[in-house]
Amino acid sequence: MHPEATQHGFEPKIVAFVCTWCTYAGADLAGTSRMQYPANVRVLKFPCTGRIDPVFILRAFQKGADGVLVSGCHPGDCHYMAGNFHARRRFAAFRALLGFIGVDLARLQFSWVSAAEGGKWVEVVTDLTEKMRAMGPMPEFKSLEQEEQWSGASGAFQTLADDGELKEAFDSIT
Amino acid sequence: MYIFSPCLALAAAPTGATSMNSKAQKIKAAGIDPGYYQAVTEAIRTEAAKILMEETVVGVVGYLPGRRRGTAHPALITTAEQAQKLIFSPACVNNLSLYLTKAKKGVLNKGRIGVVAKGCDMRALAGLMGESQIKREDLHIIGVACAGVYGFGVDRSAPLSETNIARKCRECNVHLPEGADFSAGALTTELSDMAPIEAEEMARIEALPQAERWAFWKEHFSRCIRCMACRQICPFCYCEQCLCDKNRPQAVENSPRPAGNMAWHIVRAMHLAGRCGGCAECERVCPMDIPLNLLNRRMARELKELYDYEAGRAPQEKGPLAQYREDDDQSFIK
Repeated sequence: MHPEATQHGFEPKIVAFVCTWCTYAGADLAGTSRMQYPANVRVLKFPCTGRIDPVFILRAFQKGADGVLVSGCHPGDCHYMAGNFHARRRFAAFRALLGFIGVDLARLQFSWVSAAEGGKWVEVVTDLTEKMRAMGPMPEFKSLEQEEQWSGASGAFQTLADDGELKEAFDSIT
Repeated sequence: MYIFSPCLALAAAPTGATSMNSKAQKIKAAGIDPGYYQAVTEAIRTEAAKILMEETVVGVVGYLPGRRRGTAHPALITTAEQAQKLIFSPACVNNLSLYLTKAKKGVLNKGRIGVVAKGCDMRALAGLMGESQIKREDLHIIGVACAGVYGFGVDRSAPLSETNIARKCRECNVHLPEGADFSAGALTTELSDMAPIEAEEMARIEALPQAERWAFWKEHFSRCIRCMACRQICPFCYCEQCLCDKNRPQAVENSPRPAGNMAWHIVRAMHLAGRCGGCAECERVCPMDIPLNLLNRRMARELKELYDYEAGRAPQEKGPLAQYREDDDQSFIK
């Protein structure tokens, strides 16, 4: 159909988990104020940052996000009084865990953006998108998702393959 | 010269001798006297028989000898005669607090229960009390001053020594039970400082570049067969339905494939953060030898550093992730 395929450059996928009371309204303000920001960001609205479970972030990475942004109300401004305080502790711990596992923490950004900070939203999103564009795709979690079985090179299965006795037994299966 | 030289010799000798002595002492202490465990066994039997006879408790969760030498298994005993069979040995590795949780229903419904608890098990008990899973008044805790237990896959015919002690026991800081109703045994010898294998391993992994850390864990998680033994053995995994078993929506894939394995281990570590008492049962039961306790310890350390919280020291109403301070660190947030 198409005589020549157009080669597109890498466009990062950014998933933003935002709270409905502050950052979502902030992003809305950016829109109604006609500010420009990259279309790479996919906004997911939550009642509160306290509702955002770390597995959401994992899931986003597994499904191909190159960067994740979690954003909510400034401390003290939470619609539910303390949701963002709890989220702050949870994500501090989660960040440490991901760091220990070996995930590049630059791909996970947290921010406080209030309903009045359309400009800050634009800035945060633009910064993260440009950073991700420079870093390139995030292969780690996505490749796990695509691997049906662990490759023999990863060690465990190689050891089995090298085991002469086992190989002989395997080969004897008709 | 005549006066000085002996003085110098004397001055030098004690220092040298002391350091040599302390080293000798440490090596000796690492090999715990098997008679000590016998004494603890006797104390546990006497106490268990006493509380059963007095009907303070309806049963005692303790250890019975296994059929093979050098083994023991958890058991619930209900009579004073059975209490005479209870033992405590380095083979008593299980964390018995597990049998008091919601996941193992029915034990506590019948009345007050006695439980034999090592220091690390006491931490789990304290954690469970803090989470309102068990009540202090429902328990009669027989604390054990524990000198350590066997590691996994070691020679159990030899007495406990530095070569066959569990990794967690090398860095144990809860040898003496605190807050128990009864203390079995008294550790008189100062326990030696053994090389902290886990702490060194953790430091080694943290020093690796990020990609190699990922490769390290990927390799370990690749072996996971999702038998869920780590979940079943954990005193804190008492949820009626685990998040990882749900499939509408499915947060964590539940077949032993790479993506799900990685997600499961991250979720497990995250859910135990600030709760895990460090009994390392998950690591012991893992048939694929995944160093799970490293993750637990890393999270415990992080929460200690950030919020000065240590799990299981005493029953606390709220864990570090269930409370907050307005001035918590937020340097990572833009």
